[in-house]
Amino acid sequence: MKPVAEQELIQQVIGWVKQNGLNGASHTEISESTNLLESGLLDSFAFVDLVLFIENCTQEKLDLLDVNPEEFTVVKSLCHLALQNGH
Amino acid sequence: MMPQRSFRSLFRGFLESAEGFPQRPALFVDGESLSYANLRRIVYKIASAIRTLRSDQESFSLVAVLAYRSKTAYAGVLGSLAASKGYVPLNPKFPLERTLQMLALSDCTVLIIGKECLPQLSGLLKAADRPLVIILPEVASLAELPSRNPHHRFLFADQLPSREDFSFEENSTPASFAYLLFTSGSTGIPKGVPISQGNVRSYVNYICQRYNVSEHDRFSQQFDLTFDLSAHDMFVCWERGACLYCVPDNSIMAPAKFIRDHELTMWFSVPSVAGLLSKMRLLSPRCFPSLRFSLFCGEPLPASYARSWQAAAPDSIVENLYGPTEATIAIAHYRWDSQKSFQECSNGLVPIGQIFEGQQFSVTDSHGKSVPLGDAGELCLSGSQVATGYWHNLEKTQQQFVRLPGADDRLWYRTGDLVKQDESGNLHYLGRMDHQVKIRGYRVELQEIEAVLRRACGTDQVVSVPWPVHNGSAEGVVAFVSGIKTLDEARILASCGNLLPDYMVPRKIYLVDSLPLNVNQKIDRGKLSSLLEGVA
Repeated sequence: MKPVAEQELIQQVIGWVKQNGLNGASHTEISESTNLLESGLLDSFAFVDLVLFIENCTQEKLDLLDVNPEEFTVVKSLCHLALQNGH
Repeated sequence: MMPQRSFRSLFRGFLESAEGFPQRPALFVDGESLSYANLRRIVYKIASAIRTLRSDQESFSLVAVLAYRSKTAYAGVLGSLAASKGYVPLNPKFPLERTLQMLALSDCTVLIIGKECLPQLSGLLKAADRPLVIILPEVASLAELPSRNPHHRFLFADQLPSREDFSFEENSTPASFAYLLFTSGSTGIPKGVPISQGNVRSYVNYICQRYNVSEHDRFSQQFDLTFDLSAHDMFVCWERGACLYCVPDNSIMAPAKFIRDHELTMWFSVPSVAGLLSKMRLLSPRCFPSLRFSLFCGEPLPASYARSWQAAAPDSIVENLYGPTEATIAIAHYRWDSQKSFQECSNGLVPIGQIFEGQQFSVTDSHGKSVPLGDAGELCLSGSQVATGYWHNLEKTQQQFVRLPGADDRLWYRTGDLVKQDESGNLHYLGRMDHQVKIRGYRVELQEIEAVLRRACGTDQVVSVPWPVHNGSAEGVVAFVSGIKTLDEARILASCGNLLPDYMVPRKIYLVDSLPLNVNQKIDRGKLSSLLEGVA
């Protein structure tokens, strides 16, 4: 499978959040610097679903055991982490 | 009533730890560690400020605390207790309307505010229906607050008395307030549960002994203060000189790194947290070697979660706790045993186990009579941990706090939980007898959501169902509406968000031609859940 580029993954994540997020996510401006939890767009359950979605996109497992939460709750750093894990 | 000299109040427990271990850490919050001596200093300033209000305020017994995962949150709780007041926790994540309701219902006129809650304060001050005294222990004078709100009185950090002005007097009795918590109410108005010092003292004594808590322990503090399980974290921890580690907001969802970084020894959360960590593959074998005890409460604990957690924390004892707010934090426990517990589970759920020693229970039929062993019935509770009624709600009190036929004169709390007791004495939770559900551990009356939906939708034909439900626990709520032509979902959801905490706001609202009825002509909630299974 062709590796996903970071920008492409960011757009896919934003699209997923718009479709599956809470609190009127589809009408909300979401950028790569959006904190998905602080903004209330995702709750913890939805966040797990997003992680599974990302893993499906990258075909790599995300290892979050020793990652600071602020690194994986923002769109850009989450995508960066997802791609970094697999390389 | 004269205070009973032998009674050890909750604050006395903290104070003796502060005297015994002044330099040991009492609290880690916001990246900062506070020793018992330093925390006591802040607590005494707050308590002293509350005490100065004695002379110019009408007598009051409760102080509200609007603070979130900050020094002020914990010092506010302790400061209230040090001044012999109970505390009423408020939550900045709740809608303003709900906070105002809780404030009005509790009759609180004195509030301790954390600096992190200043954004909520101005709305609250504007809408408050009575003059308030606002204590801001971490905020230096802000001239605009008093000038914009001349009806309210403000005590800023630099106006608080020094700690030397305060000396603790033990005025609490077992009947004194410890806290007043609000749970979801079926009428649409939150229901107040007053818990006494004696109730919590019984709990703390039992738990400290059971878990052999010491000053070397490091406790997780994961629950919001509006969730009564937070009282376990604080008072069990401080009773024995241990340190409380407040899990930051951004780590609540995935606290694995926090547990590891701080080498926590005592973990306490709802089972959903274990489920989330498991799904995110954050429960790898032996990843939590420091934990001595792992406690779960607030919703049914699936056996698969207990097993995964036990593997992640092999040196810890895993326990499932059970208890309604009315029985103070928890009143039953079951110790997980990797060898034999699977056989003792029913429907894949860990038993709620045995009632704490010294507390009483009865499993009853609809007439309040005990059912034979093994039969399902309503769990009724009595004992020193059990409250005596609801706050200013005689009708509900008389419904739920009763005398059982054929029993002695003692008062029993009818939990509304359906249970059965097996031959080994373990109790098993089977479900609710009403429309109360647990969402992420929070107790929710579906009628309360429906009352808000009816107003927002302009029709009586509304139903809410817990959804999705995994392993007996709901992640959220979905609503069905009928009797209107079009549905403005965004507006209705916004309206719900103005009145209900986020976990009670429906995730989705479906407009249907009609609501399905069962043979008894009641709304068929099961059928609606099946419809959702079809669209999931």
